[in-house]
Amino acid sequence: MTIMETRTKQGDASDGALGGRFSRLDGKLKITGGATYALEHPVEGLAYAVLVQSTIAAGRVVKVDTTKAEAAPGTLLVVTPETDLELKVASDWYGNRPDDQPYHPLPREVAFNGQAIAAVIAETLEQATEAARLVEVTYEETTAVASMDSPNAGEGKLVDQFNIAWGDAEEALAASPLRIEAEYSTPREYHVPIEPHGLTARWDGDRLTIWEPSQWTHGMARSYAELFGLPDENVRLLSPFIGGGFGSKAAVYAYGAVAAAVARRLGRPVKLAVTRPQNFTSYGGRAATRQTLELGANSDGILQAIVHRGASETSTYADFPEQTSAATPLMYAVPNFSSEHRLVPANTVMPGALRAPGKNPSAFGLECAMDELAYAAGVDPVEIRLRNYAEHDPQSGKPWSTRQMREALAAGSEAFGWAKRSFEPRSMRDGRQLIGWGVGCGTFPVLRAASEAMIRLLSDGTVEVVSGAIDMGQGTYTILAQTAAEALGVPVGQIDVRLGDSSLPGATVAGGSMLAGAITGAVHKAATAAREELIGLALNDANSPFRDTGANTLTVTDGRIAVPRGDGPSLTVAELMSATGRDLIETRRNTLPEADQGPEGHKRAWTTMTAIQGPTAGDYSMYSWCAHFVEVRVDEDFGTIRVSRIVSAFDCGRIYNPKLAESQWRGGIIMGIGQALLEEGLVDGRNGRVINNNLGDYLVATNADVPHIEVISVGIPDLNASVLGGKGVGEVGIVGVAPAIANAVFHATGKRVRDLPITLDKLI
Amino acid sequence: MTRTVHLSLEINGKTRELDVEPRVTLLDALREHLELTGTKKGCDQGQCGACTVHVDGKRVLSCLTLAAQVEGRQIATIEGLAAENGDLHPVQAAFLEHDAFQCGYCTPGQIMSAVACIREGHAGSDEEIREYMAGNLCRCGAYNSIVAAVREAAEAA
Repeated sequence: MTIMETRTKQGDASDGALGGRFSRLDGKLKITGGATYALEHPVEGLAYAVLVQSTIAAGRVVKVDTTKAEAAPGTLLVVTPETDLELKVASDWYGNRPDDQPYHPLPREVAFNGQAIAAVIAETLEQATEAARLVEVTYEETTAVASMDSPNAGEGKLVDQFNIAWGDAEEALAASPLRIEAEYSTPREYHVPIEPHGLTARWDGDRLTIWEPSQWTHGMARSYAELFGLPDENVRLLSPFIGGGFGSKAAVYAYGAVAAAVARRLGRPVKLAVTRPQNFTSYGGRAATRQTLELGANSDGILQAIVHRGASETSTYADFPEQTSAATPLMYAVPNFSSEHRLVPANTVMPGALRAPGKNPSAFGLECAMDELAYAAGVDPVEIRLRNYAEHDPQSGKPWSTRQMREALAAGSEAFGWAKRSFEPRSMRDGRQLIGWGVGCGTFPVLRAASEAMIRLLSDGTVEVVSGAIDMGQGTYTILAQTAAEALGVPVGQIDVRLGDSSLPGATVAGGSMLAGAITGAVHKAATAAREELIGLALNDANSPFRDTGANTLTVTDGRIAVPRGDGPSLTVAELMSATGRDLIETRRNTLPEADQGPEGHKRAWTTMTAIQGPTAGDYSMYSWCAHFVEVRVDEDFGTIRVSRIVSAFDCGRIYNPKLAESQWRGGIIMGIGQALLEEGLVDGRNGRVINNNLGDYLVATNADVPHIEVISVGIPDLNASVLGGKGVGEVGIVGVAPAIANAVFHATGKRVRDLPITLDKLI
Repeated sequence: MTRTVHLSLEINGKTRELDVEPRVTLLDALREHLELTGTKKGCDQGQCGACTVHVDGKRVLSCLTLAAQVEGRQIATIEGLAAENGDLHPVQAAFLEHDAFQCGYCTPGQIMSAVACIREGHAGSDEEIREYMAGNLCRCGAYNSIVAAVREAAEAA
């Protein structure tokens, strides 16, 4: 029996390893070209697959003439809707699966322009690319709904689960002395990770290895296993480095099924790289949204009612709701509330989760509307947010676990110099440049999930942290080394971290800002157990120098084991392992409750989203929060908009590594600048094609579009949110940026632009 | 089979021989034929900068360059930037210190661009760095740190 000392957490760098500004553990590999991303893994005997996508938005493939493609030099195989790839429909994210239903990733029925309908496999990439051009498809076209804005799109279908109401919103709105009503809209937006999607698939008998960028190795490995009717253990998915995901790399898509199926058919490994233009329709970006907000307030700007009606675009074959009411009921105290959300089907690829799904467009509407209310009431935009401060979660009625929103507004205002702002629009200028200052707030829920991790103490004193979790740039490698170092009492430099492999201990998805909280909890638990075992070994082993010290516990600090009172022996971990003849101390722990232990519970936790707990599952309501302060400069003559200054303050609980968290926050803010001013998927109304399906025409923020961004942490440890006190960091950064910019543009110009992006044509 | 050409390329000071179709880009030659995968393919259309390498010291988009075009020229990729003994190039060290990347996929292109940007004399101010590094997209949004890293490396140069 070992008595463990209690380690007190301060929640900052004074704790030691965790909370320190360490550089990325995987950094050196990334700056030297040594980090091997999925498609770069060397595999012998590769063949190359290239997709052929539909050129109509709706209809039927009548005929595919593959004669020329098959005759082209190097062609090995052409697969079309005629080809039975012998696949079965796999489970969705929630583990639901139809029985024994065939899956046709290259379907005969076309549901959107840019859908994969054929693939060519050849000896070289160039040959496959050329032969893909020679595939001739004959279609029978039917009437399409090009987008949710098309005249034939209809008003869509109400989603019952998103009906949110309390009080009598319509009546309270009618009785309010101050009322504003406005419609806000956001276009289709795309993830655009700089690493395009793709995979290499290799079969060894009935075992399948997949190298594919993945935000969820266990979830995607399960999908591949189900597609082919294989036992889970026969599939291994490797993803040690991911070139950006932002929500797009957590699922197996049609192209993945095609690549793995043709590899089996050909009996050789196949690499399929989705081209940049194909990325725009091989998986869905953020759905287009529109929402009408009516706010009723008394003459001081105190909210009395919110009536909200929203809609988002979805596909014709499956639904993905981009919930416009995700933030609306949470941000402010309001006694009467009503919200509905509709899904409008169009001939598009099913939309997907893109950084802060729901919360992002929802906050765009509400945070612009609050600015409009501030101006209707003649109240400062920060002040109106404080006057309507929600002391508890208005929707669930539960107390906030932690909510440093006042602190965020105060710290952001102070650093930005908000007090010097003049209230009237068009009242600040610098020559021909109109200057505007705007504020916008954001939130993202704390989602909690279980994960598993293994700690291995090797005889040379090295510590390995092992998990199937992934790092797409959030810093998982680094913070897990810090977590293990902290719990074990060894230096961070002594720790190796192995991630991104579905054969390693299970982890939840790197999405919904939940991975850090989940996997640090598991690593902390496993590392604490390893330390306990190490101390037990030191106290009890016949060959240990500590055996006769009479100590009932030992300390482990900076990699040395010693007696607490300071006298007696002091050994490094390696020296103790050597003295006792131990090669390895290995501990594997997960954070599942007892009832969910065992194979079924593990499979459910690591490969589905059914075990994830929402923000109000417990006694508290738990969210991350932020406030953005933005300065824009608008050219009075040309209407060009430049963001010239941003200060953002965040409450994300305890920060495990401020250097990396600040990078994530800035990244979210920069994506928000793109969303506000640049990003817009343009759809050709005649054929439903995404016109600007490349990086020259779908504009994302460049270095020249981005000013210095000051980020401030106002969070405090929240031990309800996670084992170590952190709340989500990655998603919240983008939420509230676009409305802050829109509000700044209004302040600069006096013009409200309510449809993103805010381009110069809307100002002049 | 398609006709191939024999190429002899000078890459990072070493001669590399390969037989490829004449239409193979420098980017695909590096990644698919020479196991030099540090150079990244982000768009294959000359729009993102991830494939930036140096040809005779100047930054070039390897996805818009045929391998056959660069015979007899000096090609430098990210793999050849650090010293033989493993010491990082000052730009690499500054990228690590300033956390000038997250996912790391645009990073080799950013670094190759940054080295050339400094050499061109276009790293005199933050504004100038932003403008002359604007051809390298970073979707993770590490731009502030990239500017800080380039500035520091330029000042040390």
